[in-house]
Amino acid sequence: MLYELLAATSKKADDKTQALKVAKAVKSGSTLKKKAKKIRTSVTFHRPRTLKKERNPKYPRISAPPRNKLDQYQILKYPLTTESAMKKIEDNNTLVFIVDIRADKKKIKAAVKKMYDIQSKKVNTLIRSVDGFSSPCFACYSHLASHSTVNDMGGISEQA
Amino acid sequence: MARIKVHELRGKTKAELQNQLKDLKNELSLLRVAKVTGGAPNKLSKIKVVRLSIARVLTVISQKQKAALREVYKKKKHIPLDLRPKKTRAIRRRLTKHQESQKTEREKKKEMYFPTRKYAIKA
Repeated sequence: MLYELLAATSKKADDKTQALKVAKAVKSGSTLKKKAKKIRTSVTFHRPRTLKKERNPKYPRISAPPRNKLDQYQILKYPLTTESAMKKIEDNNTLVFIVDIRADKKKIKAAVKKMYDIQSKKVNTLIRSVDGFSSPCFACYSHLASHSTVNDMGGISEQA
Repeated sequence: MARIKVHELRGKTKAELQNQLKDLKNELSLLRVAKVTGGAPNKLSKIKVVRLSIARVLTVISQKQKAALREVYKKKKHIPLDLRPKKTRAIRRRLTKHQESQKTEREKKKEMYFPTRKYAIKA
C-alpha cells in the first residue's frame, strides 16, 4: 500500500511538472507559433499537391481481358471483284478489299501482311454507302501485290 | 469436313483449340472470296457450317477459360465481378441470410426466457 501511494504521488508529480512545462511553453509563445506565417503571393487558393497513389487493386474487375475481336480475319472481309477492281489489279498493281469499318489504315496494312504475306506500299480507304449489305465497309486499295498472291486468294484473275 | 462435335472439342487443349479456330477462320475467308467470285454451290453452303463451327469453338474456349478462372479464385476472398453470382441487381443488394438472422442480445434473451408457449385444451 505504501508503494502504491508513493507511485501515485510520483506520478502526480510527473504529470504536474509536465503540465507546468507545457503551460510555460505556451505562454512564452515560442513552440507553437514559431511556424512563420506563409506569405501568399496570389489571390486565389490552389489545391496543394497531394500524394497520388497508383492503382493496386485487390482483385481485377473483369476476370480476363476480352479477346481482340478485330483480328485480321475480321478486318479483311473479302476482295472486290468488279471490273474496275480487276483493272486496278492488272494496271496499278493494287488489290481492292472490302474491309471492316472499324479498321484503320495501319491495321489494314498489318492484316494484309498477315493474311497474304504482302507488303503493301500504300493503303487508301473510303467508306461506301451501304447497298444491300448489312455491315458497313471500307474499300481499300493497297499497292505492291504480285499476281501470284492474287491467284492464291481464290482465282480472282480467272474471272478476268 | 466432318461436322465438329462439341464433346470432342472439350477434350482439346487451349492451343489446339486456337489452332482449330485459325484454320476455320482461314477456311471462312476462302469461302467468302469464293462467294464473291461466283463459287460453286457446295462451297457457298459450307459457309454456314464453318461459321457455326467457329462459334462452337469460341464457346468452348471461353467456357474453359471461365472454368479455369473460377478454380483460381475459389480460395480467395475477393473475386472479380463477372465471376460473382449474377441473379438480379435487387437480389444482390438484399441482406444476406446471415445478416437477416442476426438478433440483438436483448432479443435472444427474451426468446430464451419467454418463449411462445403452446397450449392445448383438454377435451
